[in-house]
Amino acid sequence: MSTDSAKLEVVRVVKSFRSRRGSLLALDGMSFSVAPGEIVCLVGPSGCGKSTLLNILAGLEPADSGQILVDRSPIRGPGRDRALVFQEAALFPWLSVQDNVAFGLKVIGTPPAERQARVAQFLNLVGLAGFEKAYIHELSGGMKQRVALARALAINPDVLLMDEPFAALDAQSRDRMHDELQSIWAQTGKTIVFVTHNVREALVLGDRVLAMCARPGKVKREFRFSLGRPRHMEDHTLVDAAREVLAELQDEVAKAMQEEVEHERPGH
Amino acid sequence: MRDRATRVGFLILLLAVWEILILLHLWPTYIFPSPLSVGQSLWGGFSDGTFPIAIGVSLRRIAIGYGLSLVLGLLLGLLLGRVRLVDQALGGVVLGLQALPSICWLPLAILWFGLSETAILFVVVMGAVLSITLATADGVRNTPPIYIRAARTLGCGGSRLYRDVVLPAALPAILSGMKLGWSFAWRSLMAAELLYVSLGLGQLLSLGRELNDMSRVLAVMLVIVAIGLSVDRLIFRPAEERTRERWGLRSLA
Repeated sequence: MSTDSAKLEVVRVVKSFRSRRGSLLALDGMSFSVAPGEIVCLVGPSGCGKSTLLNILAGLEPADSGQILVDRSPIRGPGRDRALVFQEAALFPWLSVQDNVAFGLKVIGTPPAERQARVAQFLNLVGLAGFEKAYIHELSGGMKQRVALARALAINPDVLLMDEPFAALDAQSRDRMHDELQSIWAQTGKTIVFVTHNVREALVLGDRVLAMCARPGKVKREFRFSLGRPRHMEDHTLVDAAREVLAELQDEVAKAMQEEVEHERPGH
Repeated sequence: MRDRATRVGFLILLLAVWEILILLHLWPTYIFPSPLSVGQSLWGGFSDGTFPIAIGVSLRRIAIGYGLSLVLGLLLGLLLGRVRLVDQALGGVVLGLQALPSICWLPLAILWFGLSETAILFVVVMGAVLSITLATADGVRNTPPIYIRAARTLGCGGSRLYRDVVLPAALPAILSGMKLGWSFAWRSLMAAELLYVSLGLGQLLSLGRELNDMSRVLAVMLVIVAIGLSVDRLIFRPAEERTRERWGLRSLA
């Protein structure tokens, strides 16, 4: 793929962490690029550095070396061109639903009238019209993630970064969120980087699926399937495709588990 | 409902025992007054205006002293919780000072500020400010990192991050510090007013002792308890419960 047209480019990103047992290489020369309006799913065993990568993409953590380019210019810290949706909804419980969605708009000083219109527009988009005044503790897990999604979309980012946002939801809510995310994507044309450990989820959402190696993380193999949308986790073609990706990941999962054991072994 | 019945029942029993002890004439009434005469003192104090005036004076002092403590405690707590150097330098001192009953500051306060309103306010502030500071520092230190990360990805940073995220996130902790600070402030004020001639409820107590008017002393004590308790029950407790609920901290009953 030509890098000229890329919305987001990850170039040889290296990141290591200091731990009690010395330095731990989390990402080892991770590279890929995402075209405008594309959904790329990163899938890999736990501890493969998926979340670390998203934190770096969001600008919350610096990479040790390598570059992140958005529209061909390197990022410096968090920016409004990228919004991150977390696994836990990370909503502010002291604010009502509408104030949560308006949070980012307030920071940039959007005038109140416009703010209100945007809040209404995005709550409507995620199917939560009528919940403006509700507080976070009154919402279910799925509703919380919708609010988080609306909050991220409200600042109108080009790139949506999603860190296992539906992992904590029950199966029904998750399936509904898959449908809604696909329809929101179709309506807004956002570029999305979606991280998950669930292969079928990656295939439901992704135009491309990048399978990641276990520690140190990098792209092991790229998959591109031509499946129609909207997709569901139970589609036969999808389940077949998932088997192929899973086979690729199987060694990695085993390797990750082996490493975890080695790493935790006393006296190692 | 049953809890309340038990509590009221016990109070009635207590009053009954008290009245029986009086009827037995074990002690002279100037040492051990009857519930009825305490009630009369209470009524008298309110109708002749001495109680309302004293209450007004004490409440004014607590409002100023507590208000100052709140501002100082929040600022100091924010510094302690967020600036490592300040915490290392000052953290131990603050903890150590908390072991000192605030009334111990009175001699020093009188030397510094003379026999003035300021001396009393100083004692009140020293009583309340430390617990508010420590609770704020604690709350700020324990701000869930996820809130800060979420806010930063939404473009929030600098002082705005403190105002819009760190402080609200710490509110449950801050509120319990404020509640504790209130009870310390109220006790300190009463102690200071007792030891130091000035209007106020504390002085009514020492006046009662000088006049051997034990029923008045008890009546004033009741007023002090009533004020301390109602601020706690009517302001702090509901505020604390509401925030805990909204912040999702309330344990599932």
